[in-house]
Amino acid sequence: MNAPDKNPLTNGYQPVTWNFKLLANDMLGGFGGMGEGMSVQIAPDGRRIIWLAHESAPKNFTAVDVSDPRKPKVVCQTDLPHANMRSNSLETCGNLMAVAYQTSKKDLQPAGFELFDISKPENPKSISFFDCSGPHSRGVHQLWFCDGEYVHCASGSRDFVPTNPGDDQFYRCVDVRNPSKPVEVGRWWMPGTRQGDNVMPPTRHPIDKGFRAHNTNVYPQRPDRCYLAYIDGGMFVLDISDKANPKKVSQWTNSPPYTGFMHTVVPLFDRGLMLVTDESTENNAKDWPKLIWVLDARDESNLVSISTCPLPDHRIYAAAGRFGAHNIHENVPLQTAWHSDQIVLGTFFNGGLRAYDISNPYQPKEIGVFMPPAPPGAPTGTIQMNDVFVDERAVVYTVDRHIGGLYILEMDF
Amino acid sequence: MLDLFPSREASPFGRRLKRERGARIPVTVVTGFLGAGKTTLIRRFLKSPEGHGTAVIVNEFGAVGIDDALVRDSAEETVLLGNGCLCCITRTDLQAALRRLIFDRERGTAPPFARVLIETSGLADPAPILQTFSTDRALGGEFHIDVVLTVVDAVNGEAALANAAEARKQVILADRLIISKTDLATPAVVETLTRRLQRLNPRATIDVAVAGALDPNRMIEPATRERSSFIAEAEHGDGIASFVMEREGPVSWADFSRAMETLIALRGPDLLRVKGLLDVAGCRGPVVVQYVQHLAHPPVELDSWPDENRMSRVVFITRNIPERQIRDLFAAVQALAK
Repeated sequence: MNAPDKNPLTNGYQPVTWNFKLLANDMLGGFGGMGEGMSVQIAPDGRRIIWLAHESAPKNFTAVDVSDPRKPKVVCQTDLPHANMRSNSLETCGNLMAVAYQTSKKDLQPAGFELFDISKPENPKSISFFDCSGPHSRGVHQLWFCDGEYVHCASGSRDFVPTNPGDDQFYRCVDVRNPSKPVEVGRWWMPGTRQGDNVMPPTRHPIDKGFRAHNTNVYPQRPDRCYLAYIDGGMFVLDISDKANPKKVSQWTNSPPYTGFMHTVVPLFDRGLMLVTDESTENNAKDWPKLIWVLDARDESNLVSISTCPLPDHRIYAAAGRFGAHNIHENVPLQTAWHSDQIVLGTFFNGGLRAYDISNPYQPKEIGVFMPPAPPGAPTGTIQMNDVFVDERAVVYTVDRHIGGLYILEMDF
Repeated sequence: MLDLFPSREASPFGRRLKRERGARIPVTVVTGFLGAGKTTLIRRFLKSPEGHGTAVIVNEFGAVGIDDALVRDSAEETVLLGNGCLCCITRTDLQAALRRLIFDRERGTAPPFARVLIETSGLADPAPILQTFSTDRALGGEFHIDVVLTVVDAVNGEAALANAAEARKQVILADRLIISKTDLATPAVVETLTRRLQRLNPRATIDVAVAGALDPNRMIEPATRERSSFIAEAEHGDGIASFVMEREGPVSWADFSRAMETLIALRGPDLLRVKGLLDVAGCRGPVVVQYVQHLAHPPVELDSWPDENRMSRVVFITRNIPERQIRDLFAAVQALAK
């Protein structure tokens, strides 16, 4: 294999659109660096609003009227209180919205999550703030909120002292049935990551991103389960039938030999399958391969990897920015979300948005690609597709991590 | 695989598709007798925005390389197949060329082309080319023929049709006919030719191109959108006939496939092309069926019907098989099932 800089294949990177139709792109007023919070609300006046979390300061979140997906219109854009924090993740449920706040350093404020009344999308009103700050905490990186009752999140806490400073975020379940007074009802962390645990701390990976929680998905098909991605710790299925005492059902990891950072777990209940994603975090594909894994989950206590979604030659994509898996459409259990156990849509940074047919889960097949040209001013010189959400009309929304904002697409397969 | 990992979303024919080709690479096959003006038409198309991202496969007969040189400057990727006629001698070359395109695209050594255009040699019989795409093993899993275009020269077309069986077959099997060089022929000649083409193939629409000027979309629009796809009855000469079998109400898939299997076993080589939409019992959308001689495309269920008409309709283009025999066979299979 030739070195990347001498390999003619590396000259091959070019934008491509395959079986997607671009309906609109909105750079969101010049603040188009978007995180991994995307949620669609049908406002009381009937408008369809997509709420988007920003990847970094100065903006907090942006609401876009996508009633006509060809003519998106920004209706609200808010600022963060300071530059050493970010929102990154949000979810809506009816006219309630939960927004995560993570600080860049420990012991800063505000670190936690905020609940908003979004019944008037132009004027979101804060209802409450759940504080997760502390000397060892950066607050909340990601949250899940679909039932109007509980926020499941990856969070630090004032009373949690990790064995390694990088392991500060763990699974927390917060009761928000009274939205003005959120109350923690349960938590779980990977044994060995908290000081005082009676097991040894886990062995660090060469690319050390922390043994900490990322996505915390809970679905109504199995309200007694949390599908928890735990970055360098792989993923866990938790029994949360007793929310106060979550218990591990099973764990699956690909690392080592892979390089950690497990990101999302999406069960496909009818089919006995599970999708697990990595996140690429290193530029120039240094952590390649970062993949979407398909697991046989018919026996939840014995998860078996049966395939991965194929990616193009990484040498072509090593040229600029990140390349590899990140977010997928998560079949969020809301009426405003599209649900499929046949098609997977995922974002791959400079690999764009990709769609896979998994009707034969042993042989996922790529059926669509949207890799637009680099947005003007893109720091890596490429698109860095970060997150994707599909609404119940099958309209696809995907966002760039740095500058390109929101892209609205139609699937054509 | 659905037994092991069942999905309520899936149809008995797998994932429901938004359109017939699903995610496969669209293919336009351009046929036409020698000198009909295929290359001119293709060159114009490749220079249009719609032609961007097209890989071209050129089949030469005789003067190898001339047409290839003409189209190469504007195509994303051009593959030349020499040494004879695409339909017989070099069909394996066509398969190899298509496979190579896929591999090269995957490896990044070919540009990410979005469609393939195949220019056949003037002498090619389109039927075996269609077969190439009919099964998964024969590239049907990767490529899908959106449209078969046949170019007919207004000046010499009439003579070609009169003298060459290949030219007639190209017209009969086309989804869309394009009359070229109308500026060089009298209106009366063009009109006579048009009538003859309509008689030979009443299913196909007829477009006119002057010096290759044709709406580029007509080079790529799927044939399924042709309004006249299911026009019945044509007597073509050469023993070739076409007719449409229609049926109201849901069709049993077991009965239909059993009848087709029997027909293929008895007369496979003479089923030049069979294509249709079926209202299959238990399916939400129409099921697209397609057969080329003894090969069956995998049936696919579409998300929805293209129009209000829910009637099952299948076009048969056959050689030396009386329509009555096929209708009787289907009736017999149905009667046996009862």
